[in-house]
Amino acid sequence: MHEITTETLPIVDFSKLRCIKGYDELCQHYELYLCDESRLAHQGAELLFFPSNEAEISAIFTEMGKRGITVTLSGARTGLVGGAVPYGGALVSLERLNKVLGIGYDASAREWIVRAECGVLLRDLNNWAMKKTFPGLYERASNETRASLKHYKETKEIFFYPPDPTEMGAALGGTVATNASGARTYRYGATRDWVRKIRVILASGEALEIPRGKYFATPEGEFTIAHSTGVETTVKIPQYTMPQTKNAAGIFSAPHMDLIDLFIGSEGVFGAITEIEIALQKWESPVSIVQFFSSDEKAVDFVISLRKEKSIRPEFIEFYSSHALDLLRKKQAADPKVVGMPPIPDDARSAIFFDLMFDPEKKEHDYSRLEEIVISCGSSLSRSWAAYELRDLQRFKDFRHVLPETVNSIIAERKKEMPELHKLGTDFAVPDRALQEIWEFYKSKLEAAGIEWLAFGHIGNNHFHINLLPRSLNEMEHALSLYREFASKAVSLGGTISAEHGVGKIKQEFFSIMFSDRERDEMKAVKRALDPDHMLNPGNLFAL
Amino acid sequence: MKVIVCVKQVPEIAEVQIDPETGTLIREGVDSILNPFCEYAIEMALGIKRQHPETETVAMSMGPFQAKAALMRCLEMGIDRAILLVDKRFAGADTWATALTLAEAIIAIEGCFDLILVGKQAIDGDTAQVGPEISEILGIPEIMYGVGLELRNNKKKIRVTREIETGNEIVETKLPCLISVSKGPMIRSISSFQEILDARNKELRLVTADDLAIDDDKIGLKGSFTQVVKIFPPRVKKQGEIFDGSDAHAAAHKLTDFLSSRRFI
Repeated sequence: MHEITTETLPIVDFSKLRCIKGYDELCQHYELYLCDESRLAHQGAELLFFPSNEAEISAIFTEMGKRGITVTLSGARTGLVGGAVPYGGALVSLERLNKVLGIGYDASAREWIVRAECGVLLRDLNNWAMKKTFPGLYERASNETRASLKHYKETKEIFFYPPDPTEMGAALGGTVATNASGARTYRYGATRDWVRKIRVILASGEALEIPRGKYFATPEGEFTIAHSTGVETTVKIPQYTMPQTKNAAGIFSAPHMDLIDLFIGSEGVFGAITEIEIALQKWESPVSIVQFFSSDEKAVDFVISLRKEKSIRPEFIEFYSSHALDLLRKKQAADPKVVGMPPIPDDARSAIFFDLMFDPEKKEHDYSRLEEIVISCGSSLSRSWAAYELRDLQRFKDFRHVLPETVNSIIAERKKEMPELHKLGTDFAVPDRALQEIWEFYKSKLEAAGIEWLAFGHIGNNHFHINLLPRSLNEMEHALSLYREFASKAVSLGGTISAEHGVGKIKQEFFSIMFSDRERDEMKAVKRALDPDHMLNPGNLFAL
Repeated sequence: MKVIVCVKQVPEIAEVQIDPETGTLIREGVDSILNPFCEYAIEMALGIKRQHPETETVAMSMGPFQAKAALMRCLEMGIDRAILLVDKRFAGADTWATALTLAEAIIAIEGCFDLILVGKQAIDGDTAQVGPEISEILGIPEIMYGVGLELRNNKKKIRVTREIETGNEIVETKLPCLISVSKGPMIRSISSFQEILDARNKELRLVTADDLAIDDDKIGLKGSFTQVVKIFPPRVKKQGEIFDGSDAHAAAHKLTDFLSSRRFI
């Protein structure tokens, strides 16, 4: 089926909705809502709303539509590309839609499904799922949901929600709107793979309920939306081919695609995603391993070999380059507690952080294949750190996070002298076959440039972040040209300019490297069909 | 030289909650860990082994079957072998019955030894009694709150740096003796994956009450002079008024109204 009918929502008196008014008032007292993690300069907003249900959102959209005021949607403001930063108009914070609404077992797919509002934070969702307690759900729930909740609590297994974009303070809705991914994407895919149903409020104020597997594009690549007014809208999906990598750039498109995928990763330009049903995954106890190597290249070789070995299935494979370890060593020398790990071995010139399923109570373990691969890359399992207790798994994860935080603090220091300076961090990914080539390309260019740099991140998906740390404006210029060169190279190898951060307002310059004018026009056509007045999220994906 | 480290498995304290109705610890979903002070004692034993590689190190614990996990952690850290005293008859032991059981096991299973190390206290019960009681039962010297040690006189004596209220004190005694350890490395050590795998091939012996020549009325609940009647959290002081801060402007108004109504401003 390619035709979907909109729902109208109960009418709410707009005049009774809580609204903070005035540019100055917002800038003075609500500045927090004008920024996100990108630190992008905002252009202020005139109105700020805090709706707590779909009907209120619908009323806001309808009224803003009548007044010709644009609307920027805001979740937990953890995005890195300015998606929630307003460029004028109204700002709608969805943080009050923060309840878990249901849980149920899908017997055909053999998976537990949680229904939650968009403002639920990933950290809470995972805590609740793993501890099997969802605050307030029992009191709110129908008898059927109560029975499911009881069943869920009685199951012996522990379940979790796999998408992990590092920032667990992110709101579920934001992660769906950006198709967030992270370290665990290596094994579990991105957010898209875990979303089973969404509800969306369109710019018109109407709602769409889109389950996965119900609405598919016609062979001509079209969907039809039947509005409550009797009007029908045809949405023609773009014809380009998506990169065969982890990707967060551009609207999703594929032959016979599912309508739900058009909204997932659309950066909120088509509507506000209000409710989401996500699937849970059985949690198995892992062991986290930081394996040290004698060079960056040996680490890359290890990743390539590890991926080929099908008997070993890590959840994630993360990289620390030689320069990244040096930076951590300096940090350890200054304050060992911040890093929270024993001294990094002197002879370690790179490291791969990964995990494996591991039952600590089992006596016999066969990791001989892993050992062979490690040895073939010039290292040994003795040159590693490993842990499986929950507190240590978190400690290893924190160790991974220290790196970007350290980079940010170095840049913040340099900015005091030179405010124009900023970090340049790539978000490019390439297909598996191109890992070695892109690494050699990056490294040769970076070493020749003489700018301070390091690499870390999701090498399992050929998506490590190159961070350039310029010390002067000259270096900054040079770093920018390198960045563009790297983007072009990644795209030429069949990759993406943004594997997980999205495009938002910050990366549009690089968007044109990946998509031609015609392809971007195809995306704009979808926007015109779903939001004819370009009311929602102005500046995201498409320049103003 | 043989060093025996007595250790305990404890719930990870940050997460512990008490059931207000039964007054007992809610253990469901709470992770168990090697008591941090016991981990310091293990580190100290391994420090001796690094300096004197011929040293044999043994970890010993009394507890339920699950306490194997804490001993496994000791083996991963580098301890040579481990002993778990596990028997339903040991259950319900107070500090005295625990110390007596451990002391009897040290004599019955190990026989000779040069040094016993313990953590200064367990973070669940916080009694700090088991270590000193073991030394009293065995009739050996004890030094509490050790933070450093040095073997002297061809390993016949030990010099210990111990914490006291005003600083550190250095004391010396002959071996064998017992030392309780109160400080370890600032950063907890991490094992290699090889060490984790190797630990599973080391000896972890299970010992029951039958293996020890000790009367049933001296162990477990029967052998305990004290009993825990009730555990309860300290009474929470009444909280002040909390203003919803999601709307900072409105909250500030409420706060100023509140303060001015009480003539604070």
